[in-house]
Amino acid sequence: MSIMQYNGGSVIAMVGKDCVAIASDLRLGVQSLSIATNFQKIFPVTDRLYLGLPGLASDVATLHERFRLLTNMYTIKEEREIEPETFAQLVSSTLYEKRFGPYFIEPVVAGMQKTPSGGYKPFIAATDLIGCLNFAKDFVVAGTASEKLFGVAEGLWEPDLEAEDLFETISQTLLNAVDRDAFSGWGAVVHVITKDKVVTRKLKGRMD
Amino acid sequence: MEVSFGITGKGYVLVAADTTAAHSVIKVKNDVDKIIELNPHLLMAYSGEPGDTVQFAEYVERNIRLYQIRNSLPLRPPSAASWVRKTLAQSLRSRSPYSVNLLLGGYDTSDYTPHLYWLDYLGTLVEVPFAAHGYGSYFALSLLDRYHDPEASLEEGIETLKRCIAEISKRLVVSPERFKVKVVDKDGVREIEL
Amino acid sequence: MARRYDSRTTIFSPEGRLYQIEYAMEAISHAGTVLGVLAKDGIVLAAEKKVTGKLLDLSETKSGGYGGSGEKIFLLNSNVIAGVAGITADANSLVNYARDYAQRHLYQYNEDIPVEMLAQNLCNLKQGYTQHGGLRPFGVSLLYAGYDPHYNFQLYHSDPSGNYSGWKATCIGANSGTAQSLLKQEYKEDIAIEEAIGLVLRVMSKTMDSTTLGSEKLEFATLTLDAEQRPKAKIYRPAEIDALLKKHDLAKKDEDAEMKS
Repeated sequence: MSIMQYNGGSVIAMVGKDCVAIASDLRLGVQSLSIATNFQKIFPVTDRLYLGLPGLASDVATLHERFRLLTNMYTIKEEREIEPETFAQLVSSTLYEKRFGPYFIEPVVAGMQKTPSGGYKPFIAATDLIGCLNFAKDFVVAGTASEKLFGVAEGLWEPDLEAEDLFETISQTLLNAVDRDAFSGWGAVVHVITKDKVVTRKLKGRMD
Repeated sequence: MEVSFGITGKGYVLVAADTTAAHSVIKVKNDVDKIIELNPHLLMAYSGEPGDTVQFAEYVERNIRLYQIRNSLPLRPPSAASWVRKTLAQSLRSRSPYSVNLLLGGYDTSDYTPHLYWLDYLGTLVEVPFAAHGYGSYFALSLLDRYHDPEASLEEGIETLKRCIAEISKRLVVSPERFKVKVVDKDGVREIEL
Repeated sequence: MARRYDSRTTIFSPEGRLYQIEYAMEAISHAGTVLGVLAKDGIVLAAEKKVTGKLLDLSETKSGGYGGSGEKIFLLNSNVIAGVAGITADANSLVNYARDYAQRHLYQYNEDIPVEMLAQNLCNLKQGYTQHGGLRPFGVSLLYAGYDPHYNFQLYHSDPSGNYSGWKATCIGANSGTAQSLLKQEYKEDIAIEEAIGLVLRVMSKTMDSTTLGSEKLEFATLTLDAEQRPKAKIYRPAEIDALLKKHDLAKKDEDAEMKS
């Protein structure tokens, strides 16, 4: 049993048309024993940027607190909020700092990136536990259900989904993938991010 | 085998822990208090490696007292839990980590709400309606899934707690014979005789 | 030999006074006025800007940052805003220190820093400079408007000596005496935020040297609770200040419009 599977939990992010979505389950367990069904693994970084932290629950909290400190200090010094691409690099370098004694987390970043012309474009990325970045154009997955998530997402995702359709796609992908994973589940939370607002919904899945 | 659990109810948190000190197969003591009062509205039940447990509990107790003296403000339950978590998480990646599992029960006097936190030696922290550590958790958690009520009165809460203890006494091979039970609510911490 | 007496700047005079601190206070009494009023459901802060002029480039302040022009009112943490009076450069240094300290508290305890703790820590720093030799004190007074679950909304004032005190309504900077007596007359217990905004604007318009109020001379901010009972700081942008003044009938007449008619 790997330490990456000790607490369980999964995160997925998808790109849509002028929107992105990020979703996770809510379980926290100790191997096969469920301890809590309200464990948040996705955190807001700015109004248009979210961070998912599946992996060891202790490091979920440690990294959440650490990235909150780093982005707050960035905002104070720069007098502006961090952009998704910049933040992804921050995540990568923060993880690589601990190359030989890593945090047991595979982060997922999703947000709307400002373009030079003043518009916004969808941005998603994921890294492994030592910060190797993967910029994807379609979707990224991580956590104990990642293999299943890959499979379902490969089947359900299509380009240029509108916000409401993207919500449906990511929700079905996550719920069906975690149903086949003993370490993920117990409900889910989905954030759909557009340039001017974020819609957050809680989902009930198979609550067993 | 150590057992501890906690239950929230309407305006209170109940925390129970066994009272045995074991040395390999021998019980050396059966009146140990494993629930420390960190401040008038905060309780902590500890279990794990003998030696580490008391050392860590007293370290937390004194740091929380120091905060109160320095700032003339109590550390509220969520903040105390976060600080303890951080201390454990830092300890985990140090040369000699503390092997301590905790339940933190508190009553927030600023917004009049009870809080129960589950923490383990890895630095995992989660707020829960009910929680357990040790072999007792396999019995207590499934019982509490069925019988826990967040709106239960203290009397009803104690009844639920008794069910858990009875189940553990009946089914666990190495069950502890006695439990110490404490409650924290708006009036502070006090011990309850079952 | 002369340096034997003036290199240590903060030493007692024969009458037992600390002149450097009194000079610092003097510097503050010429600075732009900052006014704070505590209401039952929020706090209001207003400040008079001294650095104005047609040629001052304010294009950045109109769009970016937290709102405001960043001269007098600052966001110290998500639950605390501060108004500063005195030497602006010193104030910036203190603001950076305060933000840093508040972030350290958030990191350590996972909660917003209690307001008094932040004020107290800044005062510890300020006091240090009245005692250790060779350096001058900070020439800054601050008003802290904040919220924490322990004491809800709070308003504090700190001065260069490192003293601080809590207030229901107070004022620092030029004409602070006049403003304070006005506040004493008009302040009512259990005032609501909307009334407090009116009171602050009225007192400001009477205290400031210029006859008319406008966004180029005024900074304005409020701290309230949002729907989830979390503190929400709002530092007004220039256009929002003008709209607010218009609503309270204190806006200056549009000169161009008068010329045309």
